[in-house]
Amino acid sequence: MISLRGVSLVYPNGVRALDGIDLEIGKGDFVFLVGHSGTGKSTLLRLLYREMAPTTGEITVDGIRVECLRRSRVPILRRHIGVVFQDFKLLTDKTVWENVAFALQVTGAHTRDVIRQVPRVLDLVGLSHKSRMYPGELSGGEQQRAAIARALVNNPKILLCDEPTGNLDPSNTTEIMELLLRINLKGTTIVVATHNQAVVDRMRRRVVRLDNGRIVTDEERGYYFLGLGQSQILSG
Amino acid sequence: MQATAIGTVTVTIVLLGAFLYARAVLVHFGADVLNQIEISAYLQDGTSPARTEAMRAALARDPRVLSVQYVPKKEGLQQLRRRLKGEIDTSILTENPLPNMFRVRVRTPELVPAVAAEIRKMPGVQYVNYGQDVVGKLLQLVAVARRVGIAVIALFILVAGIIISNTIRLTVFARRREIAIMQLVGATNAYIRMPFICEGLLDGLLGASLAVAALEVGRASLVPRLVAALPFVASNVVNVNLGSLVPQLLLVGAAVGLIASWISVGRFLRT
Ligand SMILES: Nc1ncnc2c1ncn2[C@@H]1O[C@H](COP(=O)(O)OP(=O)(O)OP(=O)(O)O)[C@@H](O)[C@H]1O
Ligand SMILES: [Mg+2]
Repeated sequence: MISLRGVSLVYPNGVRALDGIDLEIGKGDFVFLVGHSGTGKSTLLRLLYREMAPTTGEITVDGIRVECLRRSRVPILRRHIGVVFQDFKLLTDKTVWENVAFALQVTGAHTRDVIRQVPRVLDLVGLSHKSRMYPGELSGGEQQRAAIARALVNNPKILLCDEPTGNLDPSNTTEIMELLLRINLKGTTIVVATHNQAVVDRMRRRVVRLDNGRIVTDEERGYYFLGLGQSQILSG
Repeated sequence: MQATAIGTVTVTIVLLGAFLYARAVLVHFGADVLNQIEISAYLQDGTSPARTEAMRAALARDPRVLSVQYVPKKEGLQQLRRRLKGEIDTSILTENPLPNMFRVRVRTPELVPAVAAEIRKMPGVQYVNYGQDVVGKLLQLVAVARRVGIAVIALFILVAGIIISNTIRLTVFARRREIAIMQLVGATNAYIRMPFICEGLLDGLLGASLAVAALEVGRASLVPRLVAALPFVASNVVNVNLGSLVPQLLLVGAAVGLIASWISVGRFLRT
């Protein structure tokens, strides 16, 4: 579903944020991206949804060669990918319903589809009863669920999350992670960049660890800290 | 913000329209004068009737020539008498001082100098007169007015375009969060552009409409007073109306709004 080969990215200011990344993510996988601040997690996600192109290397997402994509084709790629951020990025002057519907409308969807799809995703994230409220009237967890609903309304095969629980308390965090798990069980490939140790350690999913723009470990059922995972492997 | 853009277009189009109108009046007025020009070709005394007839036929055959009229000296004198009647006692004219002549009219004023020069070279022609000085100056004036017109119009449009595009850029900037989200969820650039293009188009059209209204009010109240105050201005200037200028000015306003917003949004979407 996602494949990176020899991907490097040097920002215009000369910072080498990614350096020779090779990574394969299969259909329906759930992957955590971990690593210190500034090691290139967000940068890697940005390359996947083509906010920018890699300096070198090949990126394939859902069969689309991302790095050679013409500008006019980028919207097509974006419709295959849902993206969720720490700061939600909701429009504050639109209701939950309008925020979610907006994502469909701007792709030129029929009203008929909007009326069918919006309630489906609002129901999935458990926000049906608050669809008429504005983001300012919602808790952080609810806002993030609205953002997830918006990311899913186009039926993407891939959901990218950049620190989705960064602004949330533990109980909201748990809710959001359970929601992501449910979405994953329906077949959506999910990549989550996170600093949340508790989440990673509890879920025991594939963990890709970055350090200084390189992948240093890639474990099938990993922990947040390298030492912990290794000691368990050794003792078990 | 939007009011600034509309106001700028209005001012620009008023200036542009006033300029074009003044030019139209000048060209109209000039053309009026020029179209009445005729070439007077005076013949040498003693030119044979056969020679005169050959000349008339040659001129009538010339495709540039609209009409040729032969005025024998007798008739010329009668015309002169009629014209001077009451001003001068014409009975003092005992001998006819006038030569035989041709009155030649050509199709367009620009042809006058060339045709006159050719007639001058015909054998039997003594001299040719068509108000050389006045015609030359008028022709020059009209040509200059045309050329300056194009330059001034280009300048006006450029200024309006820059101001509209700045306004649209501010609007785009104010809505950058919304645009970023649109891009994130896969809206095409064409889709994102549309409302801004519409706004630019509307600003341009609205500004141009206001300008046309202002111009019409100005023309209707100013021109008759001008004609009354300046008796030498031909009164038919009053009949020069905005006419075909109206759709032209609206088109210019719309085009400026459209192109300026297209460019300013495009620049934003590329980064
Ligand atoms: N727009 C940018 N221009 C220049 N350098 C950048 C830009 N964005 C990020 N960087 C640099 O690239 C490196 C990787 O940044 P990135 O945001 O990918 O890290 P991260 O792993 O997401 O960090 P965090 O965990 O704090 O979110 C950092 O050194 C950062 O300073
Ligand atoms: Mg980051």
